[in-house]
Amino acid sequence: MSTEAPPDAFVAIEAVDFGYGAEAIVDAVDWAIPRGAFHCLVGRSGSGKTTLLKLAAGLLAPQRGLVRIDGVPLDGPGPRIGFVFQQPTLLDWLSVLDNVLLPLSLKRSLQEADRETARALLERVGLSAFAARHPAQLSGGQQSRVAVARALITQPALLLLDEPFAALDALTREELQDDLAALWALQATTVLFVTHDIGEAVYLADRVAIMAGGKLHHDLAIDLPRPRSRAMRYGPAFNALCRELRQAMDAAP
Amino acid sequence: MRERLASALLLVALLAGWEAWCRLGRVPALIVPAPSSVFATLWGEIASGRLLPHLAVTATEMTLGLALGCAVGLATGVLLAEAPVLRRLLHPYIVASQVVPKLALGPLFIIWFGFGLTPTIVITALICFFPLMENTLTGLSQVDSGRRELFRMLGASRLQTLLRLKLPGALPVILAGFRVAVVLALVGAVVGEFIGGRAGLGASIIAAQSVMDSSLMFGGCCCATI
Repeated sequence: MSTEAPPDAFVAIEAVDFGYGAEAIVDAVDWAIPRGAFHCLVGRSGSGKTTLLKLAAGLLAPQRGLVRIDGVPLDGPGPRIGFVFQQPTLLDWLSVLDNVLLPLSLKRSLQEADRETARALLERVGLSAFAARHPAQLSGGQQSRVAVARALITQPALLLLDEPFAALDALTREELQDDLAALWALQATTVLFVTHDIGEAVYLADRVAIMAGGKLHHDLAIDLPRPRSRAMRYGPAFNALCRELRQAMDAAP
Repeated sequence: MRERLASALLLVALLAGWEAWCRLGRVPALIVPAPSSVFATLWGEIASGRLLPHLAVTATEMTLGLALGCAVGLATGVLLAEAPVLRRLLHPYIVASQVVPKLALGPLFIIWFGFGLTPTIVITALICFFPLMENTLTGLSQVDSGRRELFRMLGASRLQTLLRLKLPGALPVILAGFRVAVVLALVGAVVGEFIGGRAGLGASIIAAQSVMDSSLMFGGCCCATI
């Protein structure tokens, strides 16, 4: 893996170590994401991919190494980074609209324009009719959509997603992947997406890496044309990429 | 609706059974009075205007004691949940102090605060304090770690995390503590009056054995309003 981050890297992870005691969770990882790119990390559970994502978010501090966002060393979570967790983690006592507005309402008092922005985002994820409902009245897929809308309300320069669709059924997952790809194309956000689903990674990403045992192993550019369509999932090029990643995953220690 | 009707019928059946048992079994009225005579006595007390002042005194003691105990309990719970050092330092002693039978402190409180409302309010507050504090502490420490991480990610301050995440999230647990406190407040107020009250339901129960049943009645009314 290249140790020298390219000059146009928006996110630069440089020789980052993290562990508990003697056990290394993330082991000397180098990674660079150009501005506006969509990168995926694929790995089994326990491979350290969630930890790496939290390091990139500033939720954890690396024991060695450095994370730079736009050239500036990261020293904690900030408003420029949006994070979508494995669980939707919505607040049950707030309406869907207020959940989406939460990141803004923690910073300042809300304007009517903010509510308009939130409604527009909800419309884009197909939930405009649900703005007044409470999270308990939504399905799992709808809750995940609200979580994505909430992460995008601050128009973050970097969006980090930690297996956000892992708990959903396959059909809903495909719909959400299409929605996310469409939102990404609109917002020009840099994305790092962590998943254990190879197909999901190939479908969404410009570049995919395999993570195993705390290290990044295989780095593959996905040169499928955009926008990607559902028919592509069954094409030979798609399957060849999936097979290559699968073999790399099996070969990884 | 049918369940409510059934439970109302159950009450009527129980009262009728009680009445029949007293009349047919020739139970002495001194030991178990029939419901009809209980209602008659109660009505007499209400009609003569003797009961209402006592009710007002007990309700005042209960409300003030509940408010004081809950406010202090909530504040202590929040403080201990937010400051782990204080929690480790104080929590064992607070739990241990709950072993002290608070009603037995009644005579001491009469020496400290004199006769009247104050000792009973203090006893009631002491009884209400613990369920509120313990449930607040538990509720606040049980907030889902994912949501806490979300608030960290959003750069929320400690006060924002407390007011907008922890307290709303813990509200069901805190309210469960409050319901326990309400029930205990009634016990505290009435038994407090047993010890040192000159007015109130407890004092009137002590004063007149025939009014014994009114506490039962009052308990029923209270539960209904809550």
